[in-house]
Amino acid sequence: MILLEYTEFIILILSFISALISVYWRRTGYIIIIIASVLLSVSAFTLHSYITYFALIASISWIIVSVFSISYSKDYGKWITPLFDLTIAGMVLILFSESYLIFIVGFEIMTMPAYVTILKNRSNHAPSFIFMAFGELSTMFLILGAVISMVSHGGSLSFVNNSNDYVLLFFSIGCMLKMGIMPFMISEWLPIAHGSAPANDSAIFSGTMTLMGVYGIYRVMLLSPASMYLGLFLMFVGAMTVFFSSLYAYVSQNMKVLGGFSTMENNGAILCAMGLYVSVTDTILREFLLSAIIIFAMAHSIAKSGLFLSIGSTRSEYFGEKSARKRGHDLGTLLIVMSLSGLFPTIGGLAVWMLLESFFMGAYIHGIIGIASISVGSVIALAEGFGSAAMLKLFYFSGGNNVENKVNRKEKDVLLFTGIILVALFLISTLLILPEYVAGLPSVLVFNGFTVESSVTGSDFGLVSPVYVFSLVALFSLIAFALFGRPRGRVVPRWEGGITTLENYTSSGYSNNIRIMLRSILRTKISEDRISVNNIFWSFMVFSGRAYRKFGGFFGRKFMNSSVSWYMIYMIIAFIFVLFTAALL
Amino acid sequence: MVVGGCSYKMTKNWFLRGTLKGIKTEKFPAADPLNPPLWPSRLNGSGDVQCPTDAIKDGIWDEQRCIFCRRCLPNYKPTEEQDIFTVRENTNEFRKSLNIYFVDTGSCGSCNTELSTIFSPRYDANRLSIFAVNTPRHADVLVLMGVLTEMMKEPLYKALEAMPEPKAIVLLGTCSITGGIMGKGVLLPEDANLILAGCPPSPYTILEGLERLKGGKK
Amino acid sequence: MDDDHRREKENKNLLHDHMKFHYGPTAGGLLESVSMEFSTPGEKISSVSVNPAFKMRELSISGKSINDALLMVERINGYHSASFQIGFLTAVEKALNINVPDDIMNARILQLELERIRSNLNVMERLCLPAGFGVPANQLSFLKEETSRLIGNVSGHRYFFGTNLPGLCRISVRSLNDRIKEVLYDYEDILDALLSSKIFVNRLQKNGFIKDERMIGPAARASGFPIDARADSNSLDYSNCPFSLTLRDEGDSFARFMVRAEEIPVSRDIIISSSQKIRNNLIYEEEYNGSGNGISRIESPSGDLFFMVSIEDGIVKSLEFSSPSIVNIGLFKKSMPGNVFTDFHFNWESFGIWLSEVVHIK
Repeated sequence: MILLEYTEFIILILSFISALISVYWRRTGYIIIIIASVLLSVSAFTLHSYITYFALIASISWIIVSVFSISYSKDYGKWITPLFDLTIAGMVLILFSESYLIFIVGFEIMTMPAYVTILKNRSNHAPSFIFMAFGELSTMFLILGAVISMVSHGGSLSFVNNSNDYVLLFFSIGCMLKMGIMPFMISEWLPIAHGSAPANDSAIFSGTMTLMGVYGIYRVMLLSPASMYLGLFLMFVGAMTVFFSSLYAYVSQNMKVLGGFSTMENNGAILCAMGLYVSVTDTILREFLLSAIIIFAMAHSIAKSGLFLSIGSTRSEYFGEKSARKRGHDLGTLLIVMSLSGLFPTIGGLAVWMLLESFFMGAYIHGIIGIASISVGSVIALAEGFGSAAMLKLFYFSGGNNVENKVNRKEKDVLLFTGIILVALFLISTLLILPEYVAGLPSVLVFNGFTVESSVTGSDFGLVSPVYVFSLVALFSLIAFALFGRPRGRVVPRWEGGITTLENYTSSGYSNNIRIMLRSILRTKISEDRISVNNIFWSFMVFSGRAYRKFGGFFGRKFMNSSVSWYMIYMIIAFIFVLFTAALL
Repeated sequence: MVVGGCSYKMTKNWFLRGTLKGIKTEKFPAADPLNPPLWPSRLNGSGDVQCPTDAIKDGIWDEQRCIFCRRCLPNYKPTEEQDIFTVRENTNEFRKSLNIYFVDTGSCGSCNTELSTIFSPRYDANRLSIFAVNTPRHADVLVLMGVLTEMMKEPLYKALEAMPEPKAIVLLGTCSITGGIMGKGVLLPEDANLILAGCPPSPYTILEGLERLKGGKK
Repeated sequence: MDDDHRREKENKNLLHDHMKFHYGPTAGGLLESVSMEFSTPGEKISSVSVNPAFKMRELSISGKSINDALLMVERINGYHSASFQIGFLTAVEKALNINVPDDIMNARILQLELERIRSNLNVMERLCLPAGFGVPANQLSFLKEETSRLIGNVSGHRYFFGTNLPGLCRISVRSLNDRIKEVLYDYEDILDALLSSKIFVNRLQKNGFIKDERMIGPAARASGFPIDARADSNSLDYSNCPFSLTLRDEGDSFARFMVRAEEIPVSRDIIISSSQKIRNNLIYEEEYNGSGNGISRIESPSGDLFFMVSIEDGIVKSLEFSSPSIVNIGLFKKSMPGNVFTDFHFNWESFGIWLSEVVHIK
């Protein structure tokens, strides 16, 4: 067991205590989490040390979500806050872990409360069981990876450099399961499960729980040797995930499910970048990829937390058939959605730019990696297009069935704050990225230190200057405002052929084009008045989830009467099984 | 028509076929109409007759009530004069072009076809800068025809509302003016800028009336 | 949303409603006021509902004399006014057991066929318009206007209003034969050119396919049902006319277009033959007094037109008629699913529907 440092110890204690306190004092629980998050970001963050950025990203997300939850979670039972706090405590443990063992323990502490949250929020138990089944599968693979590392490196479970490809392979499969990615199976478990929790929990699941998966792979990736085939495998899996999940996000009618698919898409893109990192040996490209991954993870986690909060603020789950709420003035949500669509001037725009630059630079590497790189880059670019369309749908149609259109003022402020953070991170991004990739073009009055520059094989590839982008947009907006004043609009009643109808462009109409054009992939069925999208992946998931539940129920009745104890036993059996397998390898 | 030895029948090209057919448009309203219908046209005569709509009372013929049923024959005879319309307000605002949108509030269908006929080659209202538009938002003139049915009230008022200023209203046909024998008129005739009498008004009447509304002179 | 519905959505992944949008009641593309609501998952129309009640007029006919009732009947559908007048008068004559001279019969046939030519030309023109075929549409509308003028010269009114009265038919057939040949001189050439255009034909073929037992008129004859009141009704005797049934089997908009197109020369020949059999100034002395019930069935340009009249002492007690357009609206609704929205105008116009026939008779 690694001894924890003094501050780390305080933060851990705080986060676990908050879970206990919040059983009685909900608000205090959230406040303690906010304090712990602030402490975490201050103590752990080190400039230009990318691995510490994860703590910063997670802290920002937690602060946003906690502030939001103070007003949001009133509507749910008293159990929601302790479980929420416990999930975060598990993640704090992951971030502090210096060994595989602590990491896995943190993973379990993070997963268990999430399982209970989903179980309690739904009368239909399928999503929670599927979540659990995947959680355990994930743990098995993590243990497998850890054991291989231990066996091949003298019995230590610490994070140490290894020379064995299988460590990264199994460990990343374990983490990928948590991120909703699985080879050849575009599992929908993550969107369904994430969509089944209250919005603030969904925000934590999608924003930071998947970030822990990224963190795990990132951590082990840095310790592992380059391997072309493993990299290609990761890229392939990532690309498949990116493509299908962006498609399903676009056609989804449930706002939270859309968010879940969007999470899968972003994680798939990150996985692709990691795959490229693992497969290439060019150090300049590798370093740039590390920057791209961390910026992308930052953009995704914070914006996705904000997105789920924005969905939560509508107090509805499915898309309204019409845009009941005019969201044009909802600046916070607009910035969040822009960031997730990869648009300037938000950090998401920079993230997508860096990621695509990496893949297009990868095309300069000859051979199979070059081809894979450019292909995967194209798939990601395509998926970003779908993703933007999905985000536009979310922005436009999320008025929901909430007729009163009342949005809590405080919640709206949190969303605006999130949006401002996304813009602020964009502006200071040149400080966060390693100095090798920051330059300038003094000849055109862009001073040194203001551009992010990508370069391959010694020459420049592309550059972008966040501060200048923002300043020019702001400058021209101000000039236009000064010259023409406030934009004047005229609202006239709509001409509808002479009668009044309540017709509107519907959210299902918005995405029916893809449902019909890609009907062979989406298995679209059109009946007399309904159109349904079905996919074999999800059918398979439901089947396996049910089978697992039957098996678990049978086992539980036979040997144990409490499902939690059964879970512990199962863990031990799985551990022994994995040890045995690892010894054979 | 044969131009330079070419017949329009020799080509399948619609443009050439159209061009080679030559001009079929009349000079009306600059010249007299070539083939004015007898009914409806201005009636001339005297005496008392059985009139189903009281259009002839005390020897005075009211064009706005007449449905041209020919019961007053032989005391009253048609004169083939087509100028049976009244322009209430002659503004200069539509001098350059006139965009019309029609609302059928309950017609028998013949007013509709007579109105669309003014855009056919014989009359070609487009040469007088009179155009039909697809929405009242683009219209200068709202042409109303038929009696007013209960369900068409809302569309009528919405169309009136949707039109930009300046706007003009045209009542086309006896049904919309006084209701004739079929019911009630659409608006009070005083509210209309142009009243086109006839059952249905002939394309000559419609064309000349609209041209006069535009400010054109006979 | 109740829990069951939600669960159903979750289990079946997602169900989405079709999108609904409406057209009308007033729009530039519609000749008459009618409101339609389309339901579509995207691209293909899954169903359409038609509300023809917007311009439904209320007519109080009962209690009126035959002459006064006739003024209203001829204004039910002004474009098919002759059919309505003749159908009504035939029913009245059946009710009062009045024998009408052959000359009058021939004059009525002549009117019906003139009206049919114009109505068919109108349908053809309106099928050219949504295809963007401006030149043939204008050429057909020119023919239509010439036919209208011919009707005006023959009957005194461009829409036959006031032409048929009890005991009187105001028809003048002077030089009619030459005129009708002159008017339709270009017709076959325009039709040939239209049919040689693949763009035009493709828009109509396989559009709005329907075969239904309830079909009437040109729509029935386009679907292979030999239904035509001219052939199988005794209200008007077509046996001495060069009449032949036009039949096609495809059942789509193109077949309906072709049936109408091919009926125009047939009608022209009937006009020529019947005009030779009649004299001018068709007056016959009959008293339209008495009581009785009578029915008639004649072929209006859109299909079968039934009249059922009950007369008491020369006063109309009750009047009922079956509108071919209402039947055709039902057929249109049935034929629309599966077609795309851009097919809609062709399909709608191919039935030759007149909403003015939707009236409430008191």
